[in-house]
Amino acid sequence: MTPLSSTDYDAIRLSLQVSVAATLLSLPLGFAVAYLITFVRFRGKIVLEVLVNLPLTLPPVVVGYFLLLLLGKHGWLGSLLNEAGFRIIFTLKAAVIASAVVGFPLLVRSLRIGMETIDPQLINASRTLGARWYDTLLTVILPLSGPGLIAGSSLMFARSLGEFGATIIVAGNIPGVTQTIPLAIYEYASSPTSEKMALSLCLVSVVISVIVLFVHELMARKTARRD
Amino acid sequence: MKCLSKIIIHLFCLVALATSALADNINLSVAASLKEVINELSDSFAKKNSGVKFLKNYGASGALAKQIESGAPSDIFITANLEWMDYAKNKKLVDTSSVGTFTYNTLVFAGAPGKAASMQDLVKLDTIAIGSPKSVPAGEYAMEAFKKAGIDKQLEKKLVYAKDVRECLMYAERGEVDGAFVYKTDALLAKQAKILFTVPKELYPRVTYPMALTVAGAKNRDAAAFFTYLHGDEAKTLLSKFGFAVR
Amino acid sequence: MQLSLTAEKRFGEFNLSTDFTVSGDRIGVFGISGSGKSTLVSILAGLLEPDSGEIVLDGECLFSSKMRINLPPEQRRIAMVFQQHCLFPHLNVKNNLLYGYKRCPAKFRTIDFDALAAVLKLEGLLERGVTNLSGGEKQRVALGRAILANPRLLLMDEPLSALDDSLRFQIIPYLKSVSEHFGIPYLFISHSLLEMRLMTDSVLVFEKGCMVEQATSEQLARSRMGQSQVGYINLLKLGRPSQLNGLFAYPWGASRLLLSVDAERDESMAELSSKDIILFKQHPEAISARNLLQCTVRSLFRSGRKIGVELDCAGTTLIAEVVQDAVDELGITTGSTIFAAIKASAFRILPG
Repeated sequence: MTPLSSTDYDAIRLSLQVSVAATLLSLPLGFAVAYLITFVRFRGKIVLEVLVNLPLTLPPVVVGYFLLLLLGKHGWLGSLLNEAGFRIIFTLKAAVIASAVVGFPLLVRSLRIGMETIDPQLINASRTLGARWYDTLLTVILPLSGPGLIAGSSLMFARSLGEFGATIIVAGNIPGVTQTIPLAIYEYASSPTSEKMALSLCLVSVVISVIVLFVHELMARKTARRD
Repeated sequence: MKCLSKIIIHLFCLVALATSALADNINLSVAASLKEVINELSDSFAKKNSGVKFLKNYGASGALAKQIESGAPSDIFITANLEWMDYAKNKKLVDTSSVGTFTYNTLVFAGAPGKAASMQDLVKLDTIAIGSPKSVPAGEYAMEAFKKAGIDKQLEKKLVYAKDVRECLMYAERGEVDGAFVYKTDALLAKQAKILFTVPKELYPRVTYPMALTVAGAKNRDAAAFFTYLHGDEAKTLLSKFGFAVR
Repeated sequence: MQLSLTAEKRFGEFNLSTDFTVSGDRIGVFGISGSGKSTLVSILAGLLEPDSGEIVLDGECLFSSKMRINLPPEQRRIAMVFQQHCLFPHLNVKNNLLYGYKRCPAKFRTIDFDALAAVLKLEGLLERGVTNLSGGEKQRVALGRAILANPRLLLMDEPLSALDDSLRFQIIPYLKSVSEHFGIPYLFISHSLLEMRLMTDSVLVFEKGCMVEQATSEQLARSRMGQSQVGYINLLKLGRPSQLNGLFAYPWGASRLLLSVDAERDESMAELSSKDIILFKQHPEAISARNLLQCTVRSLFRSGRKIGVELDCAGTTLIAEVVQDAVDELGITTGSTIFAAIKASAFRILPG
């Protein structure tokens, strides 16, 4: 085992930062989208479903390139933000956005599976007891989506930890700024002298993933037992 | 049943054909930056020597070295830097006696016209793309050049590290960065970005593309013939057309 | 309570088309499954929008396709008790009970929480989770939750069908007493004629998405006697039994009935099928049936191929069924005196 360098510690910190931020940012939107798809009848729902799942099937590189077209200096959103003094590209924000987009379908999927197990009669009961739709959403659907929220956010967190393809395009591979664990490993692996360093980071990455999955399993069991 | 057995026989024939064809193929493992020139060279060689077939594998030098080490079929190995050739030599993956230089490249700064005209102008820019110095030789050379020019500290915050030279160039093409340090041969392929200046020779080591026959390639007559062709005058003419330096 | 409802709703093969006005506080909706009862309930509660129609409850329009009125469920003040209890699994008993109460505008809050908890005997359960309550307890909580929402109408959608027989009769007194006690009119939906008779006064009969009949539950039971395998079920209110020669003697109105089972209660309800009553023109000298009652024929009615005979036994009523031939042979006419024999084992005491 080669001891980790300071840029490695940076990479670990950045990876965790990106994963936490991407997961937290996506949760409200993911919850809203899952709610729409599960409970609300509207035209063009299938279009929304396809759009949401698109990043799951597209290569992350393609997602990254689209994000670059969108958020780049001359992208239609990026140019607006640039005028407002906001730079997204080549910053940690870009890494967070890339991870959020790539992990979003996984989050929505898990949330939907969770929501579909909620008895629709419970929702009806709450409505007839005087709750408005948003009241029902907050007091019945949200608390009963617990297992889906846990599954979705841990999956999304894990996916964000591993995100590479989209990140390296929109965020670049800048040590201490945007270089997350997978990017650092990639860099090490492509240099003849630092194979061992790559292995050390790989091990760190395995350890974090195992912890996340363990926590996920434990929490899933806990909520299963409560029912 | 008859139909199925027919299909199986056909499949067998196909596999047999494919494996027999393998014997006469020349397997190339070539650094990605040489893709265009090697494509033309192999085409013209195949025209003159009918029956010769090329299987070309372009990629990062490190990835190629690892593949050969893991037993991927390869007759000729051309890398973008000396380190990975040394690695291959140490691991006894190449025929040591065949190791030589294929060509040279030069480092340039490419971007939108007017952004910079010399190394000293770089400090005025906002963002500059270079390859990750640890993994991309062009990035490593760019860093050396900054140090020798004494502007490394000023540029530190302006640098965007890309995963390879082509990504650097893509950023420059799209205007996401003010400019990028790339090889002259890459910059010549760009549409928007123009070569703004060539990095002075004394600021970085010469960009060398070493070439060797692998242990397997040394036994392949066709491969050896193509290897000789790559050293020949025709190859040199084509290389300079693409912007490589041959001497 | 007065409710008038006109509604058309079509989905796929099923088509609900109904138009009725009903008033009263104990209304039944009767029909087999698939007759449109549940659709009607959803439409009333505002959970399902009819294709066209109008719903007016106590003078207030809840829905009108013409005037484009469609009050959302939370504004209709119509609470529901579902077939499955539908308690919120993440809330304890108390918070389940208070769910509707908290959301009810203060001006409508008339029901006292403690009084309700006492009537439903829920005081000891308030802090418990709802997932490990018994079936009967769950349904009592569900009932309490609906009542505490202070609705102007309570919809009970087959609230007993998920319970076993003994629990069902334990819950019925709660259902009745709660709405009486707190003055909440209800619409009781069921496919059980017996439940209709225990719970309702006026019944709307649904068939294939249409209301086909509006009658009292008693009328309904009599008119179905001829088609029913069990005949008409007499419901007898009995007093505390005393032991007599290996049987149990129950006071019943001014008479006494001998039954082979013991209820050990001050008051119980017994079922007796109209098929289990044998009529005699004269007093038989000796018979094996242990009950022989002298009655007066109050009326005769036809149901299918059977004739129902309404008997007055010292002020209490019994319905017996016979065929036309027997009516002729025995010369049964209104006002004639007749003897009814019933075996001690023909009675079934309702659990409760």
